Amino acid sequence: MPLIDIKHLSYAYREENGEPVPVLKDISLSIEKGEYVVILGHNGSGKSTLAKLLNMVVDDYEFAEGEINVEGINVLSEDITEEDVLNLRKTVGMVFQNPDNQLVATIVEEDVAFGPENLGIPNPELRERVDNALATVGMTEYAHHEPHRLSGGQKQRVAIAGIIAMMPRVMIFDESTAMLDPIGRREVIDTLEMLNREKGITVLSITHYMDEAARADRVIVLDDGKVLLDGTPAEVFSHGDMLRAAGLELPQCTALCYELMAAGLELKGPFNTPEQCAKALAKAWREKEGC
Amino acid sequence: MSKKKKQIEAEAMASVEIIHPAENPKLRLLNVSYVYSKGTPFEMKALDSVSLDIHPGKLTGIIGHTGSGKSTMVQLFNGLTTPTSGKVLLDGEDIWAKPKEIGKIRFRVGLVMQYPEYQLFEETVSEDIAFGPKNMGLPREEVLERVAESARFVGLPPDIMDMSPFDLSGGQKRRVAIAGIMAMRPEVLVLDEPAAGLDPQGRRAIFSGIKQYNRQTGCTVIIVSHSMEDMAEFCDDVVVMAHSKVLMAGSRDEIFAHADKLEAVGLDIPQITRLALMLVKEGLTFPESLYTVNYAAAAFKDAFGLKEGGDV
Repeated sequence: MPLIDIKHLSYAYREENGEPVPVLKDISLSIEKGEYVVILGHNGSGKSTLAKLLNMVVDDYEFAEGEINVEGINVLSEDITEEDVLNLRKTVGMVFQNPDNQLVATIVEEDVAFGPENLGIPNPELRERVDNALATVGMTEYAHHEPHRLSGGQKQRVAIAGIIAMMPRVMIFDESTAMLDPIGRREVIDTLEMLNREKGITVLSITHYMDEAARADRVIVLDDGKVLLDGTPAEVFSHGDMLRAAGLELPQCTALCYELMAAGLELKGPFNTPEQCAKALAKAWREKEGC
Repeated sequence: MSKKKKQIEAEAMASVEIIHPAENPKLRLLNVSYVYSKGTPFEMKALDSVSLDIHPGKLTGIIGHTGSGKSTMVQLFNGLTTPTSGKVLLDGEDIWAKPKEIGKIRFRVGLVMQYPEYQLFEETVSEDIAFGPKNMGLPREEVLERVAESARFVGLPPDIMDMSPFDLSGGQKRRVAIAGIMAMRPEVLVLDEPAAGLDPQGRRAIFSGIKQYNRQTGCTVIIVSHSMEDMAEFCDDVVVMAHSKVLMAGSRDEIFAHADKLEAVGLDIPQITRLALMLVKEGLTFPESLYTVNYAAAAFKDAFGLKEGGDV
């Protein structure tokens, strides 16, 4: 059974004038345990709403239809209990865009302890979880620092540690790198990849950055509230025209390789990363020089 | 200031070496330093004796890590912060010559801060854009004209002009905020991360709009951004900041020809430039430094003997 199973999900929010505005339209997809999935889509494509529904953090369920099952919890069920909601929040951890909005304490380790403490985790387990979480994101030496003096990437890693300390099975990153500089971005991406590859946490990352998508196992593209593409990065990137029509762009090197192929050059993929593109082009170059 | 001190300062200024000098610089930083929290344990030098020219009419990109001094620099350009030492010259005149008139400088050098959409407040889009030019005391006709023109530059459709800015999408709000500064028609338009958080097409739309504004009005434009791909595609000149100093400044060609130097200070280089560098090691040769897909596609087609249009 998949970890997350979504069937015919539709969702709309209510405008001030009372009119429903559809955001998600009949979405069906499932996510298996241990997957690293990137969700792409332009601003307003519905990707953040989807993520928020998985963790029940939208305000209004009036126009929610279909089914969302997360580890057997039926999220949209009428008779969902408070205990179910608690279990859901333990299972699904979310990291948001703005690091400053996610830190609550004045000392890094207290901030990380906030979540598990509220789950009622007693010492010494609490202590252990906090230390492990900080070590996992490489922030142990900052345990006694004030969060507001950290860099954006460091703050975001503290926020991630706060989630890890609650030991979720799934982590959702909702544009968690959008406000960071390139170094901060790299720190967060490396951390989320490590959580997936080494700790076995299922990762759902929502982003605009195509180079982040290139590193995932699976890429889902949302457009106008529907699933437009769903496949490996190579499969998704082979639909350059569809991506452009959906307000996205191929990574530069990938776009170059496809353009050269259209001009008649024979290249063998994948072309997800600059390294892969360089390899393909170097091979074509050696063949050309050889004859 | 005592006469002697003035003389010493004048001598110091005369010997300053300007980076990327211009004949008639629109903006010139002359030996500018800026120190945060001076005299406290958190004292930090954000800018260290920087002397730099911004060329008139050009679109200049400023790149560098967080904490390299970029944001401090743009705040100095319009007098939002005062240099700890050194001078900021606009058209050759010290902007702090009459500190009480610094407000006038802010009409001449417009600053669009990061996430400017949080600063919208009027009831309609057009009123929000009109706020700046209205405050400048311009006649109504001209205000309206400028609002329409700025909206065109940033690609806001006419049918949303009477909507509340708060009903717009994030990307559209951003455009309204940028149009509001453009409508003041500053001689220099400074934008700090204008496309942060937008999707690829939103980014492209904002950058093309800014470039169009630059080309059509002839106003000097300065953009601070982390996105090397965008900077490589849209800027004329590039200033690279590192460790509170200017590491390099020059035309885009000159700067991206030193991709190795950029990498050495840990900055990203455009993906396509990285690809070209990897292939140079394989023995491919290219006529010039490559930093946009269009240039690269042409160069590769050339190298592989492919013709435009698909025939080998």
